[in-house]
Amino acid sequence: MKSVRLWFKKDGLAVYISHLDMNRCMTRAVRRAEIPLWYTEGFNPHPYMTFLMPLPLGQVGMREPLDIRIEGEITFGEIKKRLNAVMPEGIEIVDVAKPECKPNAIAAAEYEIIAEFASEGEAEGFAAGAKSVIDGGVLNAEKRSKKGIKTVNLCEMVRSFSAETDEKNVCIRTVLAAGNTVNLNAELLLNSLLSQFAAQAENVTIVRTKLLQEDLSIFE
Amino acid sequence: MYPKELEKFLLKVQKPGRYTGGELNSVVKDKTKVDIRYAFCFPDTYEIGMSHLGMKILYSLINSRDDAWCERVFAPWVDMEQVMRENNILLYGLESGDAIREFDILGFTMQYELSYTNVLNMLDLAGLPVRAKDRTELTPIVVAGGACVCNAEPMAEFFDIILPGDGEEVTNELIDLLKEYKAKGASKQEFLKAAAQIKGVYVPSLYEVEYNEDKTVKAITPVCGAPEKVEKRNVADLDKMYSPTEFVVPFLEVVHDRTTVEIFRGCIRGCRFCQAGFLNRPLRSKSPEVVEEQCRAICNNTGYDEISLCSLSTSDYRGLEKLITNMLPWTIDEKINIALPSLRADNFPKELMEKLNAVRRSGLTFAPEAGTQRLRDVINKNITEEEVLSTAAQAFAGGWTAVKLYFMIGLPTETEEDICGIADLAQAVVDEFYKNPDKPKGKSVNVSISVASLVPKPFTPFQWEPQDKPEVLIEKQNYLISCVKTRKVSVSRHVPWTSFLEGVFARGDRRLADVIETAWRKGCSFDGWAECLKPEIWEESFAENGIDPYFYTARRREYDEILPWDHMDYGVTKKFLVNENKKAHKGETTACCREKCAGCGANRLNGGACDEISKTVV
Repeated sequence: MKSVRLWFKKDGLAVYISHLDMNRCMTRAVRRAEIPLWYTEGFNPHPYMTFLMPLPLGQVGMREPLDIRIEGEITFGEIKKRLNAVMPEGIEIVDVAKPECKPNAIAAAEYEIIAEFASEGEAEGFAAGAKSVIDGGVLNAEKRSKKGIKTVNLCEMVRSFSAETDEKNVCIRTVLAAGNTVNLNAELLLNSLLSQFAAQAENVTIVRTKLLQEDLSIFE
Repeated sequence: MYPKELEKFLLKVQKPGRYTGGELNSVVKDKTKVDIRYAFCFPDTYEIGMSHLGMKILYSLINSRDDAWCERVFAPWVDMEQVMRENNILLYGLESGDAIREFDILGFTMQYELSYTNVLNMLDLAGLPVRAKDRTELTPIVVAGGACVCNAEPMAEFFDIILPGDGEEVTNELIDLLKEYKAKGASKQEFLKAAAQIKGVYVPSLYEVEYNEDKTVKAITPVCGAPEKVEKRNVADLDKMYSPTEFVVPFLEVVHDRTTVEIFRGCIRGCRFCQAGFLNRPLRSKSPEVVEEQCRAICNNTGYDEISLCSLSTSDYRGLEKLITNMLPWTIDEKINIALPSLRADNFPKELMEKLNAVRRSGLTFAPEAGTQRLRDVINKNITEEEVLSTAAQAFAGGWTAVKLYFMIGLPTETEEDICGIADLAQAVVDEFYKNPDKPKGKSVNVSISVASLVPKPFTPFQWEPQDKPEVLIEKQNYLISCVKTRKVSVSRHVPWTSFLEGVFARGDRRLADVIETAWRKGCSFDGWAECLKPEIWEESFAENGIDPYFYTARRREYDEILPWDHMDYGVTKKFLVNENKKAHKGETTACCREKCAGCGANRLNGGACDEISKTVV
């Protein structure tokens, strides 16, 4: 039995697949691909499969990790080839590798957010305003957690932030805290900024581009 | 693929995966290269519709033709309906995102009566008039099949064509005919007249219904050469019948999300309340080899880890042991679980149960249906208390700690004693658990009883019986709960008003069309969902149209009354049903078909053949 880390891309129609549904979807895909899976030995044998960082509904993931355990001999190249042959539209295995980092080493994630505003002026206003709020260091928002709703300062979870405009679009590049202990959903950050300025955006795309460790080196 | 204008709303509705399409194995074709576009419409949510085997069969069957493209359409949930109406987005096919108004055939499946208003709602969301007579173009032709169409009369004004019986052959014949008539630029009326000549095609507009003063049916008269009786379609050989080798694999969790393969159609049991058992006669089986091959193909193409061997009474399948024995090696190897729904408590071998436990343990459910032997004889559920108890004992010995029992109330001749008998039987099952010397330490037993209300259905021996009114059913339910003395037995019950509405439609006639349309226009849809059912609106709609709903449910019908569905022929003769009804009232049972042919008459549809007759008489 050995652990293998699958790196997948999720976009297009697949952004509407929820995290729970992804689990079922990937289990079936590895079964269709006839990957020699290792099964748990309990009362209800099931393949070992862990998504290291759930991706919220509606967001694109460029390189999302999924750990599986296999038995028997099969090359990483073969796993990738077989899986991509049976993947539904919108999900693609971009890499298969040995897990280098421990799952709990994920500490941050980089995002690219594009939002369209009614006019170029509005976009510029929002980009400038958003930057000054983040630089100011205070953006309180209600955050739901297992312990209930509490007010938190989102700025404490923002590791870096830039906002540029391109005609009516604002393009935000940001690194946010991610992982089991502290995690900030990019959508919450965007919505909090929008409501701060009573602004409205259309055609929002949120892309998680990579996962990072505490020292902001790439999580692998 | 959804229409582009829907994109910005998708993340604002519950479960957007219901509306996006793009699932594995969904079929996308080039619309310029097909002659017939078919929308298979399931009048309920995605999760329910995607569990339906009939849709999977016809979807693959139509898509196996080069000249046709079948897409799936489900009823949008209320949040999505609002988005669609506010933004003028027409109901679309999940595969192309194109409005189904432009399609050639809209095929609805009528699995339960409480989905009727959803049909009207879907037609309206598609931008089409709900009444057949107001849709004057040749296409789209709106057709319906499924169990409920054995009495399609309440919906007769809305559908152009009704297809009683098995759909595998007639669907192709209808597509061929429409292709021909479309090519020659024929009118809708010309097409319908020609379609009525195909065996098993019922064109309701070609039948005139007259009523007596007492509101019963006086006569049903065919016009324009339509046949006097419409005989349901019957596929003779299930081994040769089209059967899919792949299923569309949903992303969302749906009700039944697994490989499902039919093992036989029909039933040898003849339980007198059971419509499916009579509608699907004569009995026709698939051979174990064919079943196994189909299971394997579907598992390989979907990645499913569960197989359901489906029929009305799975333990009656002659090839069951052989099938399971052949399947176990590869299913165990691939960690695939085999589920056997619809088992009987009297003939399920213990060894088989142990073998099936090899991969994953599923729940155990039995259906004694009635609480006393006397009432079980009335309904011809030929199963004894000893059989239920010994099976339960076996299950407990095998490590089970939970058992589910299905019962019905509102059965003909029912007394308080019968209702109390339900609680007593559940208690006896609990006692059986404690008799087991090897019972797991520190574990309690849970017997859950589910109590449905009888809705007398057409083509059953109970089609003449009065149905209990909702207030009577509530009294009976409460009485049952007062009889349950232990917390080890939990009771779940059906909403009596739901059964009442179901009963009105089940044995209704064409005059109900106005009621259905009125109720829908006033906002009724998803009537089968407790949170959506609006009894006050229905009551208003009955009153506004001068219809007494109890005329359809609470009245005992005479044997010689012309029933609204008398022009449909499902094989089983009326004489047989009358005889069964009389025997029920005398508490006499009828042996199952395997012991002795009861002479129901359905083998006539199969050229005299019935899997049971050939094996018992010869």
